[in-house]
Amino acid sequence: MIKIETHSTTQTEHLGSRIASVLTGVEVIALFGDLGAGKTAFTRGLCRGLGFDNGVSSPTFAIVNEYRARYPVYHFDMYRITSSDDLYAVGFYDYLDRGILVIEWSENIESELDDTAIRIHITKTDDENTRSFLIEGMDDYADIIG
Amino acid sequence: MTMLILSVDSTATPASVALYDDRLIAEYYIHTKLTHSQTLVSMIESVLTVTGVKTEDIDRYAVNNGPGSFTGVRIGVAAVKGMAYAQDKPCVAVSTLESIAHQFPYFDGIICPCMDARRQQVYNALFSVSGERIERLCDDRAIAISLLLEELSTYSGRVILAGDGAALVDAAAPERGYILAPEHLRYQRAASTAMLATTREPVNAASLMPGYLRLSQAERERNEKLTKE
Repeated sequence: MIKIETHSTTQTEHLGSRIASVLTGVEVIALFGDLGAGKTAFTRGLCRGLGFDNGVSSPTFAIVNEYRARYPVYHFDMYRITSSDDLYAVGFYDYLDRGILVIEWSENIESELDDTAIRIHITKTDDENTRSFLIEGMDDYADIIG
Repeated sequence: MTMLILSVDSTATPASVALYDDRLIAEYYIHTKLTHSQTLVSMIESVLTVTGVKTEDIDRYAVNNGPGSFTGVRIGVAAVKGMAYAQDKPCVAVSTLESIAHQFPYFDGIICPCMDARRQQVYNALFSVSGERIERLCDDRAIAISLLLEELSTYSGRVILAGDGAALVDAAAPERGYILAPEHLRYQRAASTAMLATTREPVNAASLMPGYLRLSQAERERNEKLTKE
């Protein structure tokens, strides 16, 4: 497990970009964290790291956004998804292995994630600009990400 | 009078289109990662162009309407529904699993089509074969691979695994010595769908529906529990 703190939105985006640099194009990245934790900022940085810098926003209503980055990135918001039937009906399983999945509100679908998913828990701290990141499943790249 | 059938399968990663009357006239099969929304309609167009068949010549449409991937099933059903509706032609919905099973007549034993439903589950039904007679042993269902293996152990005789979940089931119990269908026969094909559609009672386009399977009860209960926590 890698533990990192960021102290601004920009730093959160940079963390996303560093993680992007080691992706191979078929990862599932599960984000956990409250409203305002920085999930979308992280995703924006990740997409920028993959050469896509054009309108990354949380797909709260669409449930999934697709970005044509170096690899296809499927950006999910699971806030309104509460059962595996829901998950099936948004075509979630059809996206696996077709690109990188970045999943906000993974709390709601945790039982559907397998062991290969990269799990990133983001928590707010006492300092309003500081965020704590706990990253599981990327230990091999600690020197690049940290 | 022979009946001209156009059939479609796009329920999982492969896609296929067939044209069939009393024989298989044409079949177009691809197995790529391209999405069916990009490929299926041009495949249908190619088959019609190459064979010189016009849509008004088609007497009946057939489609594998599930189980399978949510998006894939919708694309296939929507494509057929649209074509059939335009000229008020009848349609037949065929279970993907049944369509796979009918690729193995004369296999003396149990046919076990399995489609990967993720999370160590497969969409499955069992069929017994004797000569050209293929008999369904249970309804289509979503089932944990472990439970399917338990069930299979109650059957004696040979078992053949087919579908895109076949390798998963085989890998979970290699010691069983089940037969893994060879690659060129393993997946659902529109030709089989068309053949089954010749003898089925058709419906009109408006009544044609995707046939989704609910996840297994155990899975749902686990999720309901998780939601409550």
